[in-house]
Amino acid sequence: MSRSGWYHGPHLLLCLGLLWLACASALAQAQTVKIHAAQAVESDSPGFPADRSAPLVDLPDDWSASRPGSNGPVWYRLTFTAPGLREKGELLALYIEHVCTNLQVYLNGQLIHSGGQMSEPITQNCNHPQLISLPAGLIGPGLNSLDIKVVGHALARVASAHRAGGLSALEIGPKSVLADKHAQQVALTVAVPQAVSATLLLMGSFMFVLGWMNRRESHLAYFGALSVGWAIVESRFWLRNLPVDNAVAEFLLCAMLPLLTWASVQFLLRYAQYRHRWIDIAMPLQAAVMPATLLLAGPERLYPMASFWYVLLALQALAAAAFYLRTQYHARRRAFWPMALLLCLATAALAVEYAAQKFGIRGLLMQLAQTATPVMMVLVGLRLLQQQGRALQAAEESKAHLEMRIREATAEIEHNFTQLAELRVEKVTERERKRIAADLHDDLGAKLLTIVHTSDSERISTLAREALEEMRLSVRGLTGKPVQLIDALGDWRAEVVSRLGQAGIEAAWSAPAEDLPQTLSARAFVQTTRILREAVSNVIKHSGATHCSLSCDIADGDMQIVVRDNGNGIPMELDGRLDRGHGMASMKHRAKQLQGQCLVESGPGYGTVIRLTLPLTRATEVA
Amino acid sequence: MINILLLEDLPEIRAWLSSLVMQVFPDAQIAEAARVHDALGLVSAIKFDLALVDLGLPDGSGVDVVAALREHQPETQSVVVTIHDDDEHLFPALQAGAFGYILKEQARELIIEQLQRISQGEPPLSPSIARRVMAYFAAKSKPQPMSASSAAVPHVSLTDRETEVLLRVAKGYTLPEIGQQLTLSRHTIADYVKQIYRKLNVSSRAEAALEAQRLGLFGR
Repeated sequence: MSRSGWYHGPHLLLCLGLLWLACASALAQAQTVKIHAAQAVESDSPGFPADRSAPLVDLPDDWSASRPGSNGPVWYRLTFTAPGLREKGELLALYIEHVCTNLQVYLNGQLIHSGGQMSEPITQNCNHPQLISLPAGLIGPGLNSLDIKVVGHALARVASAHRAGGLSALEIGPKSVLADKHAQQVALTVAVPQAVSATLLLMGSFMFVLGWMNRRESHLAYFGALSVGWAIVESRFWLRNLPVDNAVAEFLLCAMLPLLTWASVQFLLRYAQYRHRWIDIAMPLQAAVMPATLLLAGPERLYPMASFWYVLLALQALAAAAFYLRTQYHARRRAFWPMALLLCLATAALAVEYAAQKFGIRGLLMQLAQTATPVMMVLVGLRLLQQQGRALQAAEESKAHLEMRIREATAEIEHNFTQLAELRVEKVTERERKRIAADLHDDLGAKLLTIVHTSDSERISTLAREALEEMRLSVRGLTGKPVQLIDALGDWRAEVVSRLGQAGIEAAWSAPAEDLPQTLSARAFVQTTRILREAVSNVIKHSGATHCSLSCDIADGDMQIVVRDNGNGIPMELDGRLDRGHGMASMKHRAKQLQGQCLVESGPGYGTVIRLTLPLTRATEVA
Repeated sequence: MINILLLEDLPEIRAWLSSLVMQVFPDAQIAEAARVHDALGLVSAIKFDLALVDLGLPDGSGVDVVAALREHQPETQSVVVTIHDDDEHLFPALQAGAFGYILKEQARELIIEQLQRISQGEPPLSPSIARRVMAYFAAKSKPQPMSASSAAVPHVSLTDRETEVLLRVAKGYTLPEIGQQLTLSRHTIADYVKQIYRKLNVSSRAEAALEAQRLGLFGR
């Protein structure tokens, strides 16, 4: 049964005493020889008990099949010849793919290899393939005997068939060839689980902390716990020397399983956003009950009890996975298919592993299945982290958005507040002005009005009427808003033309009719109205004119109003100045207040011209 | 014989106005009131042809009396007689249905003339009031945000001619001048002004009704 090396010549000829005839044809070409049988005897003697009969057994020798209930140790012996070895200068080696739990190797009675501690706590080598150099100095030219002492445990005392006592087939050949094979196997059974353990441990701790900190993401905490737990269970593959006996180690390992199931079931349910009080209670309870049943069963019945629990726990995890997938499918989540694929692969891997245990299958498929489950977990973990990262990113974005909105809102509130404060001041001022105005109207206005209509003296009536008009203008100056110049011109025209018309004087008005952008302050409007009113009153009362023209021009920021009549003119005083009785002084005073001027030209018989010039910018500014 | 309501709180002025009204309408029956409350009582009892209403009264505003008259006696001509010449005070009264206004401190002859004109259907219109009316209708013609409810308001708008008259009044032209400019008779111009007052009242009333409805809806 050669495995390799058709292309080289018969460099090495191995003669196996026991399989001499069976293998004779193959040996001619083989570089390595696989050994499928050996003499075996159960004994704790320090050397191979040559005195006892050692029947031939097939390799691999599974103790659970060949010697049920036995815990060893078992001595195996095989003999071989290696003629011409020295001339070839090749180093020989023995390769043992699987030996459980530990071994010692003797060549021609000399101890050449020990896997570690041979008594409790026995070094755990079940997953560690052994490569043992066969020192050339010890190999004789004739028949050489190779004795292997194996210590292990009966199947009933371990939780997994992988760790039940036994010895696989052996392979002898050049060390260079076998070393490659050994390295490959070590990578698969030791390095990969180590790497996966480390990854799961790191990722799991991180996710556990993440889920723990954020209770709304409790599924992350459960997944983290699952990963860490799995990493611990996985460590059994590569941790060889535990400071505890096999029974304790196996018990602890089994006790881990309900915890893992708890974590996985809760992870799947929480991930599906489902929570049930009974499950919250039942899972921890189970984690306590299971070790109790194991203790009750005792170390001698560990395997059947563990197998029972193994199935039960696997079914729980499967049910949770099915529930999770069902809700995801109904929710039409996009995450359904990747998660379904991952969970199916993990389930398949578990099934293969279970079948391998059950039927004692070893090989690449089982090792792949063993590796597949934790790899799936790593993938699920990465996916969870990706989701978490996306959620974080979305949260960051919405937070940034929110902050921006808050900044905007704050700015708006501040702006509104300022506006409101200004508005309030304005409103209070306005209200106060209106109150004063109302008081003036109600009180002073009513009294003046009474005088106007009850006085017997026409002069007093007129004075009271003028006082009333003055009061009204004052109030308007007090409370009024700025007036558009074009509106002011309209008001003035209406008043002037109707008053002159009522007095039977022909009136002519000219003013710019197009839109004027300027505004007058209420005060400027009121003062100008008074000046005009006075001028027109003079025309009506004193001039005796039949015609009066008024013109308004805007030029260089000044407004010029000219009132011209064809009346008698203003009579001279004795000192050559114009009569002050005609309100000229007050007109001039008011113009001055507006930073303007009022010029009166008059001569007896030539009529009167009043020129009022007001700077518009000043007039608009004066409040 | 015509029935006239005279609402004025100052006794001297009331007496003076009463004598003035008797001069214009020698066969008038004058019911005098000094308070809004009394005037509203009279409105519910007597049918008036003309009402002279002061605005600032001890127990309220004459605007309420104008509104009550418009409500219960739409044929009555309400004239505001006041010392306020600003549109802040006059415009609400015109919206409530007043048909013109008279400033109290004017000379007796002037008031008599104005009263006669008003009773003949020629109400006065000042530039500032004209501007206010234009602004009011301009704001109304803008698309309303509450389209569903604005459908319930009868759409009142000014004709081009009415707007033209308002525009010219706002620029300071007298009504006779505007008649000449538009080659329209004095009566036609007066009709436009009357129509403007009426539309202002109708539109304002519809608006008020809508407002009341809205408040009612929200107050439920």
